[in-house]
Amino acid sequence: MRTIVYTCPYVPAEWIAAHGLRPSRVMPDSVGSVFSLAGREGVCPYVRGFIAEVTKNDRGGAVVVTTVCDQMRRAFDIVTRKCELPAFLMNVPNTWQSAAVQELYTDELRRLGRFLIRHGGKSPSNDALAAIMLEYDIARTSIFAARERLSAREYAERIAAFGRDGPSSSCVLRDASCVERNTQYAIRNTRYVPLAIIGGPLMKQEFRIFDIVAESGGRIVLDATETGERGMCAPLDAEGLREDPLSKLARAYFGGIQDVSRRPDSELYDWFEEKLTERAVRGIIFRRYVWCDMWHAELGRLKDLIDLPVLDIDTAGDFESEENRTAGRIGAFMEMLQ
Amino acid sequence: MSDAPKRITLEQWDLQYEKLRVAGAFQPYYGGPLSRHLKDGDQRLLKLRYDNSAAALRLWNFLLTEKNRLREARAEGKRIVGTMKDLGTVPVMAYSFDNVVAFYPDGAWWIPCVMELSAGLLEIADSLGIDESFCPVRAMLGAFVTGAHFPLPDMLVCSVGATCDDFSAIAQRLEGLGHPILWWEMPHRRNPEPDETAVTLPGGFSAPKRQVEFVQSELERVKTALEELTGERLDAEKLSAGIKKANQVRRCLSELRHLAFTAQRCPVPALEMLIAEMLAIHFCSDRRETIAVLGELLDEAKARVQASVGVLDVDAARIFWVNPVADLQVMNLLEDCGGRICGTEYLFSHALDEIPEDLPPLEALAQMALADPMAGSSIDRAERICADIKMYGAEAVLISRIPGASHCALEGQVIAEIVQEKFDIPVVEIEVPPVTDSMRPTVRTRLEALVETVEARRRVAPK
Ligand code: SF4
Ligand code: SF4
Repeated sequence: MRTIVYTCPYVPAEWIAAHGLRPSRVMPDSVGSVFSLAGREGVCPYVRGFIAEVTKNDRGGAVVVTTVCDQMRRAFDIVTRKCELPAFLMNVPNTWQSAAVQELYTDELRRLGRFLIRHGGKSPSNDALAAIMLEYDIARTSIFAARERLSAREYAERIAAFGRDGPSSSCVLRDASCVERNTQYAIRNTRYVPLAIIGGPLMKQEFRIFDIVAESGGRIVLDATETGERGMCAPLDAEGLREDPLSKLARAYFGGIQDVSRRPDSELYDWFEEKLTERAVRGIIFRRYVWCDMWHAELGRLKDLIDLPVLDIDTAGDFESEENRTAGRIGAFMEMLQ
Repeated sequence: MSDAPKRITLEQWDLQYEKLRVAGAFQPYYGGPLSRHLKDGDQRLLKLRYDNSAAALRLWNFLLTEKNRLREARAEGKRIVGTMKDLGTVPVMAYSFDNVVAFYPDGAWWIPCVMELSAGLLEIADSLGIDESFCPVRAMLGAFVTGAHFPLPDMLVCSVGATCDDFSAIAQRLEGLGHPILWWEMPHRRNPEPDETAVTLPGGFSAPKRQVEFVQSELERVKTALEELTGERLDAEKLSAGIKKANQVRRCLSELRHLAFTAQRCPVPALEMLIAEMLAIHFCSDRRETIAVLGELLDEAKARVQASVGVLDVDAARIFWVNPVADLQVMNLLEDCGGRICGTEYLFSHALDEIPEDLPPLEALAQMALADPMAGSSIDRAERICADIKMYGAEAVLISRIPGASHCALEGQVIAEIVQEKFDIPVVEIEVPPVTDSMRPTVRTRLEALVETVEARRRVAPK
């Protein structure tokens, strides 16, 4: 089965799977050097890592990139010029209020469908799409349900594994010993300082942050990164699903994922407020990549709007060389909160 | 035609002004000696070289008095609309109303240069968390906070979607500071698929018809908001009349560019040409005067070409310039180094293309918006640059990198590669901050090297 790689949360995996293809959400390694990009200043490290991952990807049958940010939009140009994989650029509107932009997003899904068919996919029936959507929805629900029984890192890794491999892989806690171990973990760790991590997507090595926080006496109770809970679509509205599953899918993704690229991004703050209150968060780790304007500009806004201590950690995408500095800063932040 | 064309200093301009005044040369209401703008803090003027024609004086005075015009418009009860990011679309609509003046708050981009960082706008942006990792447009935030550089608009309109991250992020910060924004969606322009109806846009790019329809619906939303603001209905007839006026500006610029880039001796210096091109995007807050200013500059250029005179050597190296410079002085520097501009893509070529007059006017504007070189792929933009390199016979390309700009890092590489694949001409990329003084020797060396490379290539393959 051909694999379709992507990274943006607005690409619905269900839609790809329904075409008989294997969706796989890429999570890049720490910054690699890509062609002559290596020496170019100003490129978001995640974009750089994504380009590296896609160009070296030998399992991929095609790649889907979206327009949510300018750098990714331009990364598409590099991918089409430097990489053999067929590539699709999906228009994801930044505004969200009008029916016209919602329709534009749904239209883009249809166009993506035609692309997938050109590259080995089969047009799905409504029933087939609905069945896959339900399967994904159940898997997602089981991941959410497991949150309190898992360490923050395991929880984040399950979300990542779900993105990479789909429902078959990861999400349901079938393994009894794992449930047992994690229940004990949860019991042992009731005296932690609850934190949120907010920002763009994480790269593979950055999951160490969850451990660093735990080692300093905290716990990430809200993973509001793009690769965490914030990047998961809304629960499916199953009523009448089989009549028009594509519209339901569009609503769950386009209407359900709050992102920094939205204009205005007021609903992102509604989401933050709700989750931060619900999880009794006491401090925020704000994780951003250097040269990412979208998240960088949001730091001041977050401080204006959310009344919680914020630790700003910028990264050039090389976690290993930054680990000590990151750990030191998180340690100091935790001391302040304890 | 004025005196023998040459580039002169601000001090020399004051003498020249006196001469013109005594000779009874026409002065518009905003006329006067150039050096008076120093009082506004425009210190960079002291370091620039200017064309010595009366037409250039009028152009500069027009540019440097925009703030006053906006204040007068407010006093007259006109509605002031800040149009952000679309560079040349919404202003055409706005100026079709009787009682609206539109301007680009984005133009604050140049304040740090013109005022040599003395306005403190970048410091204000810093304090709001928008530091030097963003493009100089961050000065706009400071301008809104101080209110010293333009009156606060009655309405702000901003396009998002296929735009840069810098502006989108900064505009969101601005809205968070209490300046409501009407956002409209500009989708990334894509090529039509085989089963889609294709539309050829002004300037030559193509897009699927459904994208044009979508943009048209977004512009309809903007139009409705402007109608509500003004209490005036904008019917097709009025909008068509506005498009015709905009096209007058565009036709004039097209002729001017053609003369400036192709005449044997360059009739208008690079700096004045850059400013002239900028007038197309929002008419510097006075459309009628823009037409007059450009008309006079075009007449001067024609007279010079006819007389075979110009401001630069005949054999100046022919350079195509990509992106506007944050420091205006660099345009002078290129000429000091022996270069001349033969083609430009300052991020808004679409604002120079004529808007179709044979279509329903809103559809025509939608086509124009989609023709924005920044709304499509860097590959498209590079292709347009290549077409212009060929048309104007440029011998080298200079990509001026905008510090912090989200598009520059990746697109510069794509443009450079495509140009070299097509033409085998030298391409240089130079980052230009708002004030280059400390790095002037480096910039100069690189410009000189580019000019020398062109000269060396001519010796190997004489034309
Ligand atoms: S981290 Fe920022 S710049 Fe990088 S891909 Fe995400 S939004 Fe774009
Ligand atoms: S990043 Fe580029 S397009 Fe955006 S505001 Fe700055 S100069 Fe203009």
